[in-house]
Amino acid sequence: MKKILVIALLFSCTLGIAQTSLPEISLKDLSGKEIPLATLSEDKTIVVSLWATWCVPCIRELDTIAEVYEDLQEEMNFELVAISVDDARSTRRVKPAVMGKGWEYTVLLDPNNDVRRHLGNPNVPLTLILKNGKIVFRHSSFTPGAEDQLFEEFKQIAGE
Amino acid sequence: MKKLIIAIAVITAIQTSIAQENKGTFSGGFESNSQWYLDDSGLVEENPNGFEAPQDQLRSNNYFTLRYSYDKFTAGVQYELFAPNPLLGYFQGFQGNGIGTYYLNFKHENLDITGGHFYDQFGSGLIYRSWEDRQLGIDNSIRGVRIKYDFTDYLNATAFSGNQRVGFEISEGTVTGVNTELDLSTALDIETGIQLGASYVNRYQEYTGPNDNFPAAVGAYSLRGDVSFDKFFIGAEWVYKEPDAYVESNTPSNTNLQDGRAILINTGYATKGLGINGTFRAIDNMTFYSEREAAGNSFLLNTINFIPGYTKQQDYAVTNIYVYNPQAAVIPVEGKAGEIGGQIDVYYTAKKESLLGGKYGTKFEMNYARWSGLDTTFDLSNNTYENSLISFGDKYFEEYSLAIKKRFSRRLSAIFTAVHTEYDGQVIEGKDFYLEGNAFVIDALYKFNNGKSMRFDIQHLGANADRGNWAASTLEYSFSPYLSVYATDLYNYEKTDIHYFSAGGSYTKGRTRVALNYGRQRGGLICVGGVCRFVPPNSGLSMNISTNF
Repeated sequence: MKKILVIALLFSCTLGIAQTSLPEISLKDLSGKEIPLATLSEDKTIVVSLWATWCVPCIRELDTIAEVYEDLQEEMNFELVAISVDDARSTRRVKPAVMGKGWEYTVLLDPNNDVRRHLGNPNVPLTLILKNGKIVFRHSSFTPGAEDQLFEEFKQIAGE
Repeated sequence: MKKLIIAIAVITAIQTSIAQENKGTFSGGFESNSQWYLDDSGLVEENPNGFEAPQDQLRSNNYFTLRYSYDKFTAGVQYELFAPNPLLGYFQGFQGNGIGTYYLNFKHENLDITGGHFYDQFGSGLIYRSWEDRQLGIDNSIRGVRIKYDFTDYLNATAFSGNQRVGFEISEGTVTGVNTELDLSTALDIETGIQLGASYVNRYQEYTGPNDNFPAAVGAYSLRGDVSFDKFFIGAEWVYKEPDAYVESNTPSNTNLQDGRAILINTGYATKGLGINGTFRAIDNMTFYSEREAAGNSFLLNTINFIPGYTKQQDYAVTNIYVYNPQAAVIPVEGKAGEIGGQIDVYYTAKKESLLGGKYGTKFEMNYARWSGLDTTFDLSNNTYENSLISFGDKYFEEYSLAIKKRFSRRLSAIFTAVHTEYDGQVIEGKDFYLEGNAFVIDALYKFNNGKSMRFDIQHLGANADRGNWAASTLEYSFSPYLSVYATDLYNYEKTDIHYFSAGGSYTKGRTRVALNYGRQRGGLICVGGVCRFVPPNSGLSMNISTNF
């Protein structure tokens, strides 16, 4: 118990200077092209979602947003980048799944989970809002209705 | 304790200096999975007296990671505490606490050097993959040195050497590997995507026995290529492993050596609204361990390569009872020398306003998977065998699944799932049955105003063997994106009359998630990403906390 307290203490003293950006690496998109993460939110606000083909709430979230994606793009320049954390077993499923579902998102592959580890190994889905390269909003898990809150947050952050 | 105080002092010092200079960033996370096991006389799955809680009723697995990057350097450490014992079903070598992994990484322009523990994989992982999965209790990172160099934007190479993590110890054998990858499409500036790769991985473990020809070092080679043009893609990977000792009950045979082979082919077609993916794999004696004696261990310790079950990861309680567990080990007395098979996935979206699509469009997901043993002739007295890599023996597993995702209104949507499974219990679990089952699931979701929603499912599995028929249902209510509660029951109504009920809730806020569950856990294979771990049936109260920063 004592040790857990110590861990909690360790944790609390690092909170003040938390990770506020994505790692400075490149990930491949579905056509095999390397995309540097640093360029994703240059001078703009975007949503980044960490997901996997085997994660039911992740698919729910991305399917839900996909239904209104075009409208949101027009309304508020909404943009979503979906980073798949599918590993060696399922990474090859990503392209057929994304295309089959007709998603219009930019999809990047992180089969070695470098981004996920950089962010402290969170559970997926993890939804981030990035503005000019900085993480300004973070939410993990998805329940229906959470998308409305995400759109509100996005609107507010993008408008600031 | 002393170490921790030092750690706190160091962190505080670093923190102060960062605060002053405003340089470098911290990130990290904390995850705690605890369970308070409770006696349960009704859980008569394995023991007629029910589940008897272990002496250490309260057990907890905790992981604390910290990463600090400054300029070209990144340093990281993971402290782990399993107190007083790891959760049931985890490797006992995790008992206690300590620094699980640590590393220092330097990255500058084309050079990337890591000293300490690292995770990586070559190709699909069929020759080498080190990874961590806390749910499965796997951390087979390698402790040593890893160097990656990009010669150009289309050619890179990686080399590493080290010992594999085993609980809080490291492997006796040393693992060394080199890998190179060439992106021909970038090199030649052509539209067609062509990527090539080659790897060599070696396991060295001292041998002091009587056989002069016994290999202390065993190497494995792999070649692979991926081609994509327009909407098609195809990739193939071939692996050969040099002769290694046959191991029976942790004892290597001094005279009995056998080599291993594997082939993996993946192909598909993807266009908007339709995606098809096919995977084929054949493996013969392809398990590869950083210690010979570890062959066949049930905790997946010392595994150098990655052989997942290429089947669909099912989403529901009744569709997760009979899951395929890959059969990579050579066990002549059981007639096993490898496996052959594959799967096909089809994703299709019927457009809005089309016949199948209706007002909102309809999504279809189909999967077919089939796995068999290799057609093999065994010489049981010598523990040897002969076979061809492309040959079909007895069927181990076959599955057809279909999921239809349909929205009925702005508020109501549903998923309909049907799965037909054939499962050889003898081969997969060592139990005397062969099962055919049909599962049906209806999963409905209703969205209220203000982020409130309700999910309800009913599930049934009709099976002709083992424990027969099962039914299940789940009710989940979300008060907001942050707070949700659920209750579920999985009921084996035909043979054992056991209810596996559980109820709980979770609260998520920003970086932190807390979940509480009370109830029973069915014994059997828990599979994550096609890799399975055996857990005993149990009962109790569990709490999971995770946070990241």
